[in-house]
Amino acid sequence: MKRILTVDDSASVRQMVCFTLRSKGYELVEAVDGKDGIGKASAAKFDLIITDLNMPNMDGIEMIATVRKLAGCAFIPILMLTTESQAEKKDAGRRAGATGWIVKPFNADQLVAVVQKLVK
Amino acid sequence: MNTGLPRMTSMLDWVARLENVTGKLQALACTTETQVRSVAKVFEDMAGHTSTILKTAAALVGCVEKENIAAVMPKVQILGAAARRFIGDRLQASAGILKTVDTEVNLLQQLSVVSRNQEAIAVQIKALSVLTNIEVAHLGAVGAGFQYLANELADFSRAVLSDTRELTNHAENRRHAIEETRRVLSAELPRQREQLARIEADLGTALKLVDSGLSELSRTPAQFKVCVEDVARQIAGVVAAIQAHDITRQQIEHVQAAFALIAARMRTAEDPGKDPEKKDASELSQAYAGLTIQVYQLRTIEGTVASWAAQIRTCMNGILTVSTSEVVGIGPAVLEQEREVSSQLARIELLEGESQAYSARIERNLGGLSNLMELVTEHVQRSKSIRDRLRLLTFNSIIEASRLGTQANAILAIAKCIKEVASEWNGITDQSANAMERIATLVTETSGAMKMFSGAGSETLREAQAQTSAALDNLRNVAAAAAGHAQEMKLATDKMQSKAGEVKNSGDVLHASFGNLDEVLCEVEFVQQHLESHQPGLKHRYDATAVERMFSGSYTTELERQVLRAALAGTALPPPPTFAGNSVELF
Repeated sequence: MKRILTVDDSASVRQMVCFTLRSKGYELVEAVDGKDGIGKASAAKFDLIITDLNMPNMDGIEMIATVRKLAGCAFIPILMLTTESQAEKKDAGRRAGATGWIVKPFNADQLVAVVQKLVK
Repeated sequence: MNTGLPRMTSMLDWVARLENVTGKLQALACTTETQVRSVAKVFEDMAGHTSTILKTAAALVGCVEKENIAAVMPKVQILGAAARRFIGDRLQASAGILKTVDTEVNLLQQLSVVSRNQEAIAVQIKALSVLTNIEVAHLGAVGAGFQYLANELADFSRAVLSDTRELTNHAENRRHAIEETRRVLSAELPRQREQLARIEADLGTALKLVDSGLSELSRTPAQFKVCVEDVARQIAGVVAAIQAHDITRQQIEHVQAAFALIAARMRTAEDPGKDPEKKDASELSQAYAGLTIQVYQLRTIEGTVASWAAQIRTCMNGILTVSTSEVVGIGPAVLEQEREVSSQLARIELLEGESQAYSARIERNLGGLSNLMELVTEHVQRSKSIRDRLRLLTFNSIIEASRLGTQANAILAIAKCIKEVASEWNGITDQSANAMERIATLVTETSGAMKMFSGAGSETLREAQAQTSAALDNLRNVAAAAAGHAQEMKLATDKMQSKAGEVKNSGDVLHASFGNLDEVLCEVEFVQQHLESHQPGLKHRYDATAVERMFSGSYTTELERQVLRAALAGTALPPPPTFAGNSVELF
């Protein structure tokens, strides 16, 4: 079973991501902010990381940059799922190593489609 | 100046009011976060049920499509046509047999007349034999040669009597058999006609039922699936609406932060250590503009919450209108209709079986016709032989009697009688031969009628029966599967609908919580009005760029930025976030 790490300070968003993807057979692990995300990403192997941008303690951009430096995490697909849609933020995300960008609220079918595309 | 508003004694009172609403917003954010999670959990359960229903509905629709249910109807129609043809052919064949039977009855009557005439001739020959014996005795040694004639005549008489009796007996037996066949056929024909009419009517009714049942079976599960798919789409909308709470939460946090900034500006305006004229005006106008922006933000939050509530209500209404009654009813209804058609099939099978037995019985009864023909043929052969012998005897007797002269006048008279008898016999023999020919024709006709009767449409009917039986087996399986699937769907739908009340409660509580925003808005607008009355013309004196820089720095959503621009421009609020989902961009 493919494993996905979802990082978001909003419990309801994590809940929706988990519900949408678990129903399609993925195993989901939750992290509440960037710091928690790094801890979980370094402790276990994931096939995909979905992260928010604006979070307390550590934001999504910083988390991606850190995760990319972890052993075995250089090529893990990382999707940003955020309320932000500014071009400069997207550029920052891309530079940090994000694979894609989804603006909240996400459409369940679209999320599943993009996850299926990235996690083969 | 009396403004109609409560008199505010100091700027610090207004600051206190703002701090108070900040606390209210904080409480609102905490409460609604928990409530949204509760709504999300219920929707998660409902989505699980929807998924189960959709999977089952898809299985049912797939099953109906795979088994090609539409093909059942033509097969049952073919069976109906084959059954009608089978009975129709039998009726026609029965009428044909009845006709041959009538002909045979006439023929047997003719044979009876022939037999009676032959018996009469046999009696005459016997009498001539006796007369010949008397004359032989009278002539003594001279008439010894005529003893042979007397003996021959006696033999002919015996043979003819025996032969005709045998023929009479056989014809009599045959007559009995024919009469039974006529009786059976006469009784059977109306019965068959009645059966044909009944099968026509019953099959017609069954076909109409099956037709309606099949179209329901093809339509109802698909319609139900479409209905549940609509609910699934609405649930997906609720999933998006729940995420929109994340935007709302961030907006509330930023409004709280803005209130802190505005309060700071208002405190600065109150600071007596600075230039009261200039500083008061600049700080207060920025605070005023800030309050206008927060009012816009709070109204946008209200709009977003109203959209969630509407999305949840639409979804709930959709869920509550999902009805399983039709889909639950269709399986048993089709099974009932299938049983009706199966009972018609069984009736046709029974009819076919009865018909076979009836056919065998008629065949047995009519089978003796060829024996009769053989007997008549032999009889005709023997009659011809007797005729030839009689001619020879007549000829010899006349010669011998002529040779003896007058003393053999009596023998001569007997010989002439024999000649007449022979002539009469010849006519009767022709009648027998004629009867034989007619019997031969009748054998062919009867054989044809029997063949038609026995084989009439049987093969086509059996093939149609087999195909219909197989189609009905399929239909039964599909209907049984439909009934089973429908029960599963009903169970899941009931569970989903039972959650609807829970969602409604959670949704109402959530909506009520956000109702507190009105109170906050009243407070903010109250402070704004007092600021304006404190410093008339305040709302036109701020620097828009400075204000935007001051508040937008912390914004994390595009919606907030749009709202800020609308507030500063004094235009309409931007639309709430879409629940249809945003674009996905892969780098």
